[in-house]
Amino acid sequence: MVLDPQFVWNGIVVGSIISVSALGLTLIFGILNFINIAYGDYMATGAYLAFAVNAQMGLPLAVAIAAGVVGMAAGAVLIDKLVFEHFRTSSPVTLLIVSIGIAFFIRNLIRAIWGPSGNFYDVPIEANPNLFGVRYSVEQLSIIVASLLLLTAVYVLLRRTRIGIAMRAASDDRTLTRIRGVDTERLVLYVWIAGGAIAGLGGIMLGLDAQIRPNMGFTALIPIFAATILGGIGDPKGAVAGGFAIGILQEVSVVVVPSEYKFAVALAALIVGLLLRPDGLFGEATR
Amino acid sequence: MTLLSVDGLRKTFGGIVAVEDVSFDVERQDIVGVIGPNGAGKSTTFRLLTGFHTPDAGTVEFDGEDVTDLSPDARARKGMIRTFQIAQELTGMSVMQNMLLAAQGHPGERAVTSALGIGGTSAFEADQRDQAEELLQLLELWELRDEYAGNLSGGQRKLLELGRSLMADPDLLLLDEPMAGINPDLTDRLLERILELRDERDMTFLFVEHDIDAVMRVADTVVGMHNGAVLSMGTPEEVQSDDRMLEAYLGGEV
Amino acid sequence: MALLDLLLVVGIIAGVYSLLAIGMNMHWGDTGLLNFAHAAFFAVGAYTSAILTTPTPEAGLLAERVVGFDLPVAVGIVAGTVLAAVLGFVIATTSVRLEGDYLAMVTLSSAELVRLVIHNEAWLTTGAQTLKNIPRPMESTVATLPVSYDVFYFLLVWGLVGVCYLLFERMSNGPFGRVLHAIRENDDVALALGKDVTQFKLKSFAIGAGVAGLAGTLWAHYVYAISPVMFLPSITFLIWAAVIIGGAGSYAGAIVGAVVIVLLRQVTRFIPGSVPFSDQMSYLRLMLVGVVLVAVLYYRPEGLLGNAERLQAGTSEGD
Repeated sequence: MVLDPQFVWNGIVVGSIISVSALGLTLIFGILNFINIAYGDYMATGAYLAFAVNAQMGLPLAVAIAAGVVGMAAGAVLIDKLVFEHFRTSSPVTLLIVSIGIAFFIRNLIRAIWGPSGNFYDVPIEANPNLFGVRYSVEQLSIIVASLLLLTAVYVLLRRTRIGIAMRAASDDRTLTRIRGVDTERLVLYVWIAGGAIAGLGGIMLGLDAQIRPNMGFTALIPIFAATILGGIGDPKGAVAGGFAIGILQEVSVVVVPSEYKFAVALAALIVGLLLRPDGLFGEATR
Repeated sequence: MTLLSVDGLRKTFGGIVAVEDVSFDVERQDIVGVIGPNGAGKSTTFRLLTGFHTPDAGTVEFDGEDVTDLSPDARARKGMIRTFQIAQELTGMSVMQNMLLAAQGHPGERAVTSALGIGGTSAFEADQRDQAEELLQLLELWELRDEYAGNLSGGQRKLLELGRSLMADPDLLLLDEPMAGINPDLTDRLLERILELRDERDMTFLFVEHDIDAVMRVADTVVGMHNGAVLSMGTPEEVQSDDRMLEAYLGGEV
Repeated sequence: MALLDLLLVVGIIAGVYSLLAIGMNMHWGDTGLLNFAHAAFFAVGAYTSAILTTPTPEAGLLAERVVGFDLPVAVGIVAGTVLAAVLGFVIATTSVRLEGDYLAMVTLSSAELVRLVIHNEAWLTTGAQTLKNIPRPMESTVATLPVSYDVFYFLLVWGLVGVCYLLFERMSNGPFGRVLHAIRENDDVALALGKDVTQFKLKSFAIGAGVAGLAGTLWAHYVYAISPVMFLPSITFLIWAAVIIGGAGSYAGAIVGAVVIVLLRQVTRFIPGSVPFSDQMSYLRLMLVGVVLVAVLYYRPEGLLGNAERLQAGTSEGD
């Protein structure tokens, strides 16, 4: 069986989107210790904000991306202040259910504003260039470039900055960080800024690759969950590796699995991953 | 006659040896106290005996049967019932419900019998209620029978846990620090009750305990542990007069 | 008169949702299991019964589907319930040992996989197309009666809600439920007392899934026609909202919560005449569901009929 490089390329594109999105989800989990079901809808919000700036206001895509990312970072902070802040001492399950309520709100707000049908960014349509037999589009290239830039930025943030190091420490052991005098509320603020911005970017990437739809983020959640779990919940490095693994696996699987069942590959990876490696790829998960 | 036989238990956590070559026998109707300073491996041994940890090596035999690979619940059904060091009462259930939960072989625990109240469910339930009443009276918890267990005081929770274990009518009761947090007056009565139960119900006891005085008063056999191994074993007097035990306690935290 | 008809329709939907909520309450309220696969159980009930009770489609008509059995509706209802329970059992065997959040993700993903299968296996389910002409039970008999069919169906659905309510209440308050509650509170204790925790979780999952399947059969036979988009995960989330709003652990609460959710979703249908923003109305109603859910969790975490004392027991002290 010869592996078609086209599938690998597609896998890298999809993997970039999943990796970036999983990174945001796992960062939020690491600090706040709950699964945010509304995360997919954060992604959709970022995509729609960029859509408004790009297609509706007619500004260049780069400006739109910046607007979507910044807008969703602000949005995540706003949602925290309005809702999550009041549930700081609640159990992870309560927070998960709260996030269901938020998801309902956001998704239907998007539908109310932009309608239920699909939209596209205003990008110049060009014939897809071809390199060594692999067709690629400008959108795909920008997705990969954007994801590499973001992953590098987050790496530097987590390794080199004070707040990033504090985040990592808190993700490992929250009480310990508190004892050492780190202001956890400030940490929470930063993690929402980072998580929201990353979600926004992930959503825009998703919209560039396919369509902008109200439930686009929610439908993408399952491979993102799979990547997060495979990488070990709360582990940024693992989430990125898991994201690329699942993206590539999913696209390459069309060789053996009917393409309608592509998504089942993520599910299988998720279940097998959980049963075999409950602590994630690198075994340093928070639980 | 030997009821519990522990042979060569070993358990490591991430390369650190917690328990090494622990072997001892418990005779039927014996009261065995396991003592030792902090970090001696008492708790790990306890969890190995009750199936909450799986040993890396060694065997646990109960009533002539190898139970090393059995799950905690399967061991419990064979008559080995344990308590928890920090009383794990079911906070959102009433005291009475906590007690009734421990009934073994309850015909009503099947969904169908429960829904339709058939198969002798109500007769069995009534009988269990009588037993629970008797125990709750003894433990001075009867007045609190409808209270949520989470609203009890620390000492009362310990008592409830003991009572609940007795409801299961075990052959071997494994108690994890049963005296911690209970007032001395009650400790005396509990110890008395343990001695009675041994004779009345043909029960055997193994307990891990910090309160050495309590152990010395009721135990027939004492197992002294240190650094994950059995250091000294024998009658309370023998272990008490064993210099190595004294050293172990003085060397570590007392 | 028109208002009464509308009330009957809303009442039937509320009854179906109540059954779904009863099943979910066994999972979450009684056993503490995070089930996010409810939409799949609902779908399997609906599709099983629909496939069993419709004839094999003639060539040309619904050409894609090649399977149909034309069996009595009662057979379909029983089979749909049983198959949903079996699916619950199967999903649970892969995942029930997992901790809470993991269980949530795996069940959610499993449900989407089920929907994917329904969507793609057109020979069995008509795929993305609508599976039509699902028969209504006793339609010709009811036609001879002086009441409308909706009155009959309303009574049928709520009669089943009543029966299920009684059975589940008894299970919950009996020795079986006692073990489930113990698992909810602390499964180590249940293990230490000799309860086969995995077995009980599987049973809880299967029973709750079964009643969701029953809801699915009733839905299919009422609406004539079903398609995969009726069984999106948002159904699961709506039922979660119903159970939380009504009060987890209370079967009466589950029913009340389901009625509240259905009313919130349908309320604007009762406003006569044209409504401004009518296009946006359905979205605004779902936004309202989100707001109500969060508000209940904040102001009344035990829900409308839940037990606040139970939630608080053990939180004030203890070590």
